[in-house]
Amino acid sequence: MKETPEQVIDRSAKIVVSFFVASAGLWLLAAALLAYVAAAKLTDPFFLSSYEFFTYGKIKIAQANAFVYGWGGNSIFAVTLWIIARLSQVEIRGRILLLFSGVIWNMAISFGLLGILDGHMNSHEMLEMPTIVWPALFISYAIFAFLALVIHRSRKNPNTIAPQWFILASLIWFPALFLIAWNGLEINPARGTLPSVLSLWFGQSLIWLWLTPMALGAAYYIIPSIIGKAIDKYYLAIFGFWCIAALAPWSVVHHLEGGPVPMWIPAVGTVMSIAMIFPIAVASTNFHATAFRDIGKVWNNLPLRFVIFGTISYTLSSYIGVIFSLPDVAKLTQFSIINEFHFNQRVYGFFSMIIFGMVYHMLPKITGKEIGKSAKSFHFWTSAFGVLILLLAYLIGGLTHGVLAQQTSLDWSSSVITSVQPYFKITKYAFVILGLSQLVFVINVWKVIFPNPFAALFESDIEKKEKTA
Amino acid sequence: MNNIFKFSFGILSTLAFAWLAFVVGANLQYGDLSPESQILEDDGSRPPDAELFPKDMSGIAKQGAEEYLSLGCVTCHTQQVRLFTKKGPNGNRVIEAGIDIERGWGKRASMARDYVLQDHVMLGNTRVGPDLANFGMNENDQNWLHQHLFEPQSLVPDSICPPSPFLYEVSDQPKDGTISVLPPVGSSGDENKTRYIIPSIRANRIVAYLRALKQDYELPESPFVETDEKTIETNTTVIEGIPDWVNYPASPKALADISEQMSAGKEVYTKIGPGGGGCVTCHQPTGLGVPLAFPPLAASDWVKGDKDRLIKISLFGLMGEIEVNGVNYNGVMTAPGIPPGSLTDQQIADVLTFVRNSWGNSASAVSPAEVAEIRDSIKDRAPMQMWTAAELSSHSKQVQ
Repeated sequence: MKETPEQVIDRSAKIVVSFFVASAGLWLLAAALLAYVAAAKLTDPFFLSSYEFFTYGKIKIAQANAFVYGWGGNSIFAVTLWIIARLSQVEIRGRILLLFSGVIWNMAISFGLLGILDGHMNSHEMLEMPTIVWPALFISYAIFAFLALVIHRSRKNPNTIAPQWFILASLIWFPALFLIAWNGLEINPARGTLPSVLSLWFGQSLIWLWLTPMALGAAYYIIPSIIGKAIDKYYLAIFGFWCIAALAPWSVVHHLEGGPVPMWIPAVGTVMSIAMIFPIAVASTNFHATAFRDIGKVWNNLPLRFVIFGTISYTLSSYIGVIFSLPDVAKLTQFSIINEFHFNQRVYGFFSMIIFGMVYHMLPKITGKEIGKSAKSFHFWTSAFGVLILLLAYLIGGLTHGVLAQQTSLDWSSSVITSVQPYFKITKYAFVILGLSQLVFVINVWKVIFPNPFAALFESDIEKKEKTA
Repeated sequence: MNNIFKFSFGILSTLAFAWLAFVVGANLQYGDLSPESQILEDDGSRPPDAELFPKDMSGIAKQGAEEYLSLGCVTCHTQQVRLFTKKGPNGNRVIEAGIDIERGWGKRASMARDYVLQDHVMLGNTRVGPDLANFGMNENDQNWLHQHLFEPQSLVPDSICPPSPFLYEVSDQPKDGTISVLPPVGSSGDENKTRYIIPSIRANRIVAYLRALKQDYELPESPFVETDEKTIETNTTVIEGIPDWVNYPASPKALADISEQMSAGKEVYTKIGPGGGGCVTCHQPTGLGVPLAFPPLAASDWVKGDKDRLIKISLFGLMGEIEVNGVNYNGVMTAPGIPPGSLTDQQIADVLTFVRNSWGNSASAVSPAEVAEIRDSIKDRAPMQMWTAAELSSHSKQVQ
């Protein structure tokens, strides 16, 4: 039987994409474990307290890094390669180099996280891994990005479409963001609070310009391809794209409201955050107007259900983010655990859910093996439920935290923080549910990628019998 | 969109704009900030021989900053005191919310200048624990800090700060140099035993760092704020026709419109001779007065408080017993001016504005019109009849 061009591409992607998905899964589990430990330490400060390795501050920061660079980075590699190759209609080339860059990336993150836990943390947001691992991370990313761009350049159809813009932008923005931040923080470090501005800008832009466009690009790809209809009001997509490109790098600095930095910085951030309403509305219209033409398919097709959960979460979280960027609200909630809400909403509720959908969509095509339906379904419902509980706890807990902190008559630890305690407990249980859910995901994925060697033995026995018969 | 090079150029130029603003622009705006004296001269220059702030931390405190960083304390503790201001009725900036200061986390807003000498600026973004920008101002007792670092729960009930027993050597018996730590507040049972700890070098570093965290000096752009009055006007004045945010951090220019009054007032204050005020003879150039004889003007409630009272004193003088900052004085002050009572409305306004905004004082300016109004309201008073403190307080009540 002759292979279709798609099958040829999928076969070329098999080893590389499987490698990235499998390692992303492991990082996801590591992050889930760290998240549980951090949450447990907030409810009981004596939990594992005699080990310096497990100090809350280290665990918390290691968790965020494992989640964003380990899980986020690897899954971005996997999804980028596959979508770029499919849309370019060319095979993935340079597979050995890609695997090489993946190995370096994962080793660098492993060393980086161990470095954080061992006490060699950096003070820059989302650049906390020790200075020494960053060149390795940058080089491995550069190799990957270069090869992905080579695939894109050799595409059959010269015209590009929305998923390509978003994914390529994400591909190019990350190293650019990194170079800007690295130059301003390590090579020519500014003094005083300027590095704080820059590191906050990097940490937030990383989510807005690396994870977000990636997930949006994946959604632009997968929704029409499963529904079988073109994106509704597609002509708006280009406007949405350039709005994100132009506004997002400015909008993230509203977190500095009232801080010891020039006042125009948070002011600009607030204005640009409000302007972000437009690109959010565009993406939301594009996705939901297309998907809800065939609501039955959204419900029944599991990858699509994951993706639509993610896009709805994107819309909601971004609008909520706009509200929380208004100065009057920011004054209340700025230093509360609402920050956890924003981070988890964006990285878990939006980015990860879309990636889960994408992985379930592409893995069977690449490996030729189906994933158990009930296992996928279990993963979806536990993830959706866990995320909802987690986000509600952080949202209500964050508001409580922020409002009570304004009452100067209330004692800090025995009144304000004690009132937030119940929400910490809820997040602890939410992380248990999410951890379970992620374990199922990883088992689902690993079962497909690494088939049971004994099963192969049995298969060959049967084949032998058939032959002898 | 189809040419990858043009596309990259487009998306990178949007980033470059943000870079220009947040890195290049912000650097140009305050990249060369350096330590400054607490108060500037009227013309914006630094007084000679003035002590400069912030001061550099000691070596061990700097090592402590590394430890603080490596333990991830920044995850829960911010180091920035916020003060929100809005435009007041007369164009001054008025405090809108100073919750951080009311909580006792600082005496004033943190400024970019406070951090210029720190290697690791850890502003933080979440307050599960309290702000630590001024931690060294309150908890100066080393033992308290060590006990807290070893086991926060032994001092603060319900604290969720993780204990750091790994920084200490623990024993059951008191020895030389041990610090005793009580069991957690509210705990019971057999474990209720006092522990005796010896700090490691790392613990000592952290404690040195925490004690060095203090913004207990004023900066020209950020004077101390009193918490009992929510609407104190700061002396940053808005320059008309320029957006609000340009006025931050307050530049000497922003003070321009009281600077004329300030320099004229200083002239009146210091001049001993016809046309001058002669104030300096008793109240001294430092504004501190002479202990037990002449009351201070610096940090005095009489000076920073009710304007009317101050104008009345400036017109007729004051005698008898008064209390200033908790100390009793019993003396005679003739109406200022040489000869006494000769100062014009403008001169009184200038000198009062000067004393209300010098030596760390920060209060609203006094205008000649206000002086004229008070002078008119008490024009029936016999010349040279000095006030007494009791009379002043009853007088102001009558007026009300």
